[in-house]
Amino acid sequence: MKKTAASKKTPRKHSGKRNKKPWFWRVFIRVSLIGLALLAGWTVYLDAVVTSRFEGRRFEVPSRVYARPLELYSGASVTAGGLQRELELAGYRAGRSDSAGTYRRNGGQFEIHTRGFRFTDGEELRRRLSLSIFNDRVQDFTVTAGPPSPIVRLEPAQIGGIYPAHKEDRVLVQLQEVPELFRNTLMAVEDQDFYDHLGIAPLSIARAMLANIRAGRIVQGGSTLTQQLVKNFFLTRDQTLLRKGNEALMSLLLELHYQKDDILETYINEVYVGQAGTRAIHGFGLASQFYFGESIDDLENHQIAMLVGLVKGPSYYNPRRHPERAKSRRNLVLGVMADSGLITEQEASRARGQPLGVSVRASYSENRYPAYIDLVRRHLARDYRQEDLQSEGLRIFTTLDPAIQYAAEFAVTDTLKSIDGGAKGALESAMVVTSRDSGEVLALVGGRDPQYAGFNRAVDARRPIGSLVKPFIYLTALQNPDKYTLITPVQDTGFSLVFDDDRRWEPRNYDRKERGDVPLHKALSNSYNLPAVRVGLDVGVEAVTQTLQDFGVTDSISRYPSMLLGTVPMTPVTVAQIYQGLATSGFNTPLRTIRRVTDSRGEALSRYSLKVDQVADSASVHLVQYAMQEAMQEGTGRSVYRRVPRELTLAGKTGTTDDGRDSWFAGFSGDLLAVTWVGRDDNGPTMFTGATGALPVWARFMGQVPQHGFSPVVPDGVAYQWVNSEQVALTDEGCENARFMPFIVGSEPDTEVSCGGGIERRLRGWFEGLFE
Amino acid sequence: MTSKFIKPFTLVILAGALAACASGPGGDSIYVPAGTDETTAPEPPQLDRGTDEPRVERKSEQPDTERRAPSYQDEGDAVPAAASSLMRSAEDLLAAGNAQAAVSQLERAQRIAPRSAAVYFKLSEAYVALDQLGSAEQFTLKGLSLSGSDSSLQRSGWLLLADIRRARGNMAGADQAEARAGTL
Repeated sequence: MKKTAASKKTPRKHSGKRNKKPWFWRVFIRVSLIGLALLAGWTVYLDAVVTSRFEGRRFEVPSRVYARPLELYSGASVTAGGLQRELELAGYRAGRSDSAGTYRRNGGQFEIHTRGFRFTDGEELRRRLSLSIFNDRVQDFTVTAGPPSPIVRLEPAQIGGIYPAHKEDRVLVQLQEVPELFRNTLMAVEDQDFYDHLGIAPLSIARAMLANIRAGRIVQGGSTLTQQLVKNFFLTRDQTLLRKGNEALMSLLLELHYQKDDILETYINEVYVGQAGTRAIHGFGLASQFYFGESIDDLENHQIAMLVGLVKGPSYYNPRRHPERAKSRRNLVLGVMADSGLITEQEASRARGQPLGVSVRASYSENRYPAYIDLVRRHLARDYRQEDLQSEGLRIFTTLDPAIQYAAEFAVTDTLKSIDGGAKGALESAMVVTSRDSGEVLALVGGRDPQYAGFNRAVDARRPIGSLVKPFIYLTALQNPDKYTLITPVQDTGFSLVFDDDRRWEPRNYDRKERGDVPLHKALSNSYNLPAVRVGLDVGVEAVTQTLQDFGVTDSISRYPSMLLGTVPMTPVTVAQIYQGLATSGFNTPLRTIRRVTDSRGEALSRYSLKVDQVADSASVHLVQYAMQEAMQEGTGRSVYRRVPRELTLAGKTGTTDDGRDSWFAGFSGDLLAVTWVGRDDNGPTMFTGATGALPVWARFMGQVPQHGFSPVVPDGVAYQWVNSEQVALTDEGCENARFMPFIVGSEPDTEVSCGGGIERRLRGWFEGLFE
Repeated sequence: MTSKFIKPFTLVILAGALAACASGPGGDSIYVPAGTDETTAPEPPQLDRGTDEPRVERKSEQPDTERRAPSYQDEGDAVPAAASSLMRSAEDLLAAGNAQAAVSQLERAQRIAPRSAAVYFKLSEAYVALDQLGSAEQFTLKGLSLSGSDSSLQRSGWLLLADIRRARGNMAGADQAEARAGTL
């Protein structure tokens, strides 16, 4: 039994042994086949990944947002400090003016070496300019090198970008734009056999090791450019064997499909070279601008060496943070350049002697103007999709004026600090500044901390406008000159309105006083409520609403009589829009933040042109402008001239809502229209009126900006007359109460009064006139 | 189209308008340098260049009793040299049939000379060439609002307006504008 059992066992055993080999091979072959199939599948998959990524849109290039270019010419309005800030913002280096992108300042004397810029309407060539600034104006403007021109635009400063979600920023360059020396240096340092290998190069790994041993430290990496590109492009950063395998496989695949030049160009645009906040700096095109403020084809030897050296460790060799490390790395690269014969030993040693020459800060800081960029994005959203803005490398040329923005931010922050007192920071503010005749938005402040990219009050805070509505009431009335002129008596006496549901409304003046009959111009310049409501009810709430809509209000307006005291809510930007028509003799000019949008090559995609649209006759607007100037000289805005020169002859209007919840001011000079708002986000009461809250901000701003005074051209059909406005009669120039006031021809009074004081006063007036 | 019909005429008129503007007295707005009180950000000292331009006095330097009347002027501003050069290049572009580029140059000129009627009349001409007669009419009106007492500028503007209105089929408006020009 045992034997049998054994014999039985043995053949079994035997047969097992005999069967083991084919079984093993069968499994092995099967596994291999499956493995091969998997590998083939994987390869096919990787191939699809590589080709689709490489073939399709290779890069998402953020859109670039630019400030308006500064125009320089004899007579241009700019302060010396403003010009210097403008140059700094555009990344100009101070001290010398020997190469493009540099300037020298001596007091009011400037020498500027412009870089040139391709605008959509023509190229601005490189020039050297000489000019001086005296009394905030450019004088002796001359082009000392380059083609002569009476007017030159500086290249616009970049003020922001619209980034894809991953926050990669880059400026695409084409291979032929990259200097040969740059390409050769890159290959000499990173991948000597780039044009010969198949994507991976075991030989170069060995050579790199050798070179590193010889140098005593790591001077070369073993990965080919292709491998580095694959690593950046497709893979995560963890160092696993599987990843290494994928990297090698994908490198081979990439080389199989694409030309060396394509791969090199992609590498040059992909490589990671630094960080600015959350923004990742990719590619040498942007790196040149980011570190040197130069375009890649203008780089000098030492700059090329530094950028190529950065590839090995952009944060370790960060030239702004670790200048010593960056410099020794740069000098090492210069050595490689000389050893490879790319530059001579002399050139190398000269370059080693150069300072790093990195611009002090990034050419612009991200989100320097969050409120403004926010409005730009909203305007862009009318015509562009967010995905395209984040990826197509569009260039957006805005109307932002950095000097005006600077003054506006300063006016808001500084004034709020000084008037805040008891409010302990609860007080907020917003400001909009536009160019009076073009409607271009020059500056926007969204809150008392202009750097904070939060609630944008200039665009989103809809608050009752209070007395800012009054000019529109009187304008509506003055359009009927048979009934209303600037001197028509209007009743400043109380009354009550009883509605159908028995509710009563009893409007009151701010000071609770009643003055009986007052001339219309005084009622407006002193912002009396009772006459405004009476006139408004006389012309009709509907007519006033229509005027507001003609001037640019698009939201619905509720037709309650209380709207005549400004219960209608608006944003500061909307107020700026409707005051545009008051400031420009009845021409509505749509507010714009964008002049042009171009593609990445500079071809225009959209133009946003100046538009004007007459919405009220110039004559009646001229009368309102008179009263709005009077408001600044004798009325509610008179405190303004404590801070600004009287020559500005400003026009404006205060606005206050109940318990000082909103303090508004809207007004204009010859060049600028500005709207300010002060109040609390929680709509709580404050101790301010339009004159004590918003006006100080406005005045602080106006006092800082050189500009032309407001002096409207007398329109057709308007004539000035000497009148006694209290007595509604023509009078003599010398009389004490005489005012020289505009009338729509035919509406001037037909009675005449002589001076109350008789001949003596008239004579004195006459003599005074003689010696004026 | 319609614009081709009126173009030669407007060119003649505008040549007249610009010539008048160059020769006539300008009612130039007053330029006021920035206040330099203690609240503005400090600036480094500037070179003193003497007094070749009158320095505007601060309020504190003036007698307090002074009362100013609201300001106005009888004519729009003269066109400064820099804006003139842009308008000339716009004319060249218009002559070469590139009206869109001319608009770009004229918008630059407008930013420099926003209170000069001639710039708006030129813009109107460019929009006529682009066959955008609605815009052309509006720019003519804007120019007219700045022509003030300059009767030759007024006349050119009203005639231009008459042309544009006629081309738009607004015969009554055209006659009205022409009659207005006739009184000047």
